[in-house]
Amino acid sequence: MARVKFLCDVDRCIDCGGCVVACKEGHHIPVGVNRRRVITINQGKPGEKSMSVSCMHCADAPCIAVCPVDAIYQREDGIVLVSKKTCIGCGYCFMACPFGAPQFPSDKVFGARGAMDKCTFCAGGPADTFSEEEKNLYGQNRIAEGKVPLCAGMCATKALMAGDADQVSKIYSERVFKRGSGSNAWGWDKAYNKK
Amino acid sequence: MKRYILSACLLMTVAAGLAFAGTHEQVQLLSAFGPEPSTAAFKEFNAAFTGDWQQYGQTFTNLQTTLFGKIFLYVITLLPAALLLHFIAIGAKSFSHTGKEILFFNAFCRFIHWLAALFFTLLVITGLMVVFGKYLGGGALVSMGRSIHIVSALIFSGTAVIMLLIWIKDMLPMPHDIAWLFIMGGYLSKQKKPVPAGKFNAGQKMWFWVATAGGGVMAVTGYILFTFQYPTDTLRLSAIIHSFLGAGLIGFFIIHLYMSLFAIKGSIKSMITGYKPEEEVRILHSKYKG
Repeated sequence: MARVKFLCDVDRCIDCGGCVVACKEGHHIPVGVNRRRVITINQGKPGEKSMSVSCMHCADAPCIAVCPVDAIYQREDGIVLVSKKTCIGCGYCFMACPFGAPQFPSDKVFGARGAMDKCTFCAGGPADTFSEEEKNLYGQNRIAEGKVPLCAGMCATKALMAGDADQVSKIYSERVFKRGSGSNAWGWDKAYNKK
Repeated sequence: MKRYILSACLLMTVAAGLAFAGTHEQVQLLSAFGPEPSTAAFKEFNAAFTGDWQQYGQTFTNLQTTLFGKIFLYVITLLPAALLLHFIAIGAKSFSHTGKEILFFNAFCRFIHWLAALFFTLLVITGLMVVFGKYLGGGALVSMGRSIHIVSALIFSGTAVIMLLIWIKDMLPMPHDIAWLFIMGGYLSKQKKPVPAGKFNAGQKMWFWVATAGGGVMAVTGYILFTFQYPTDTLRLSAIIHSFLGAGLIGFFIIHLYMSLFAIKGSIKSMITGYKPEEEVRILHSKYKG
C-alpha cells in the first residue's frame, strides 16, 4: 500500500467542528485531550479561513527521533503510532512536534501526565487488531476495517481528506484547477480565447 | 419634559455608539472582493500551529536526537575512566588517623548531607533511567523512575536550601581559591604540600554552588516540565537547560564520589563521625582556623 496523508482544504473548511466531535466521540477521548483541532484565522473579517489539524503522520517524524524510550514508530504506510505501554509521558514529543499533536491526559496522582495520546489515523495501535485492549487504549481501527478515518468521513464539505497520498493530491489539484487558476481562470476563455 | 429626556438619552446613545465605533478598526470592504490567496492564509496557520518551531523546536529536536544522549554517556563512562587513570597514576592520599582529630561537621550538617545525598543519588539514577529509557524498554519501570525523580526532587530541594544556609559563609569564593585551581588542589602530585584552602577548597565550593544554585535551576525547569502549563518554547528551553545542567551535575557528583571514596583514603569517615585527622586538615585545608 502507498503512503497515506491528511489534507485540509482551507477554502472548503467551514469550522463546523464535525471532525473534532466525530474523533472524540468515536474513540471515547477523555476531556482535555484533543486528537484533532480546528482553528480559525481572521474570524469575523473578510478572508476568514479555518483549518483542521491533527497528527500529520510526518515523514521523518521529529517525535520518533526525540522519544527517549522508542515508544513511537511509523508503519509502512506512513501512519505514526505510539505504544502507550512503553510511553512514560515525558512530553518530549510534544516539544518536538510542529503541530502540537501529542496530547497528555493528566489523570495520575498529583496531576502527573499519563501516556501520550494522539491521532492514530484511525488505525488503532500496537495491540492486537480489533482486540479489546486496542479499543480501550487507542480507539477504533477503521483502517483495518477498510474505512477512512472518522474525521474525514464525517467532513460535511469534504474539506478534510484522508487516504492514499496520490489520490488525495489528485482530488485537490482538480479542485484547485476548477476553482480557477492558470488557463482555467475566470474570464480567460472570453478574454484570451483560452479554455 | 419626558420627550426631552428621551431625545437626550437617544442622542447620547448615538454619540457613545459613534465614539465606540471610532475606536474599532475599520472593516476593509475592498479586501472582500476576490479570493484571498491561500498562501497568505497558510502563513497565518503556520504561525498559529508551529510558532517558533524553527527556532527552539528544531534546536530541541536536534539536541535531543544527536547530543544529549552522547553527553550523558560520556559523563558516565569517560569521566570515571579518567578518574581511574588518576587513581592508577597518582593514587590515593592517605593521612594518619591516629593523631588528634578536629570536628569538621556537626550532627545536623551530617544529617542534612546524608538526606541530600540519598535523594540526589536517586535523582541521578532515575534521571539516567529516563535518558537511557530505550535500553530499559520504557513502560512501567521507567515511568516509576520518573515518579521517583519527581518525589526525590521535592525532598532534595528542601535539603538544598538548608545546605545553602548552613554552609554559605564557608563556601564564598576567596582569593586563595584561584591558587588552589592552578595546582588542581595538589591532586596531580604525590607530595604532601599544604594546599591553600579554608574549611572547603575551591573544588568543594564549585560542587556546592553547582548543587545548590544549579539545583535551584534544575528545580525550576523541572517544575515547568512537570506541570507543562507553559508556552511550548518555555518547555523546550527548560528541557534543554535541564539536560545540559543535569549532565554537569552528574559529572560533579561522580567527582565528589571519587574524592570521598577513593582519592583521599578514609575521608568519608569525616562525614560519618564528623572528625577529620589533624594531618589531613593541615595539608588539604591549610587556611582552616578552628
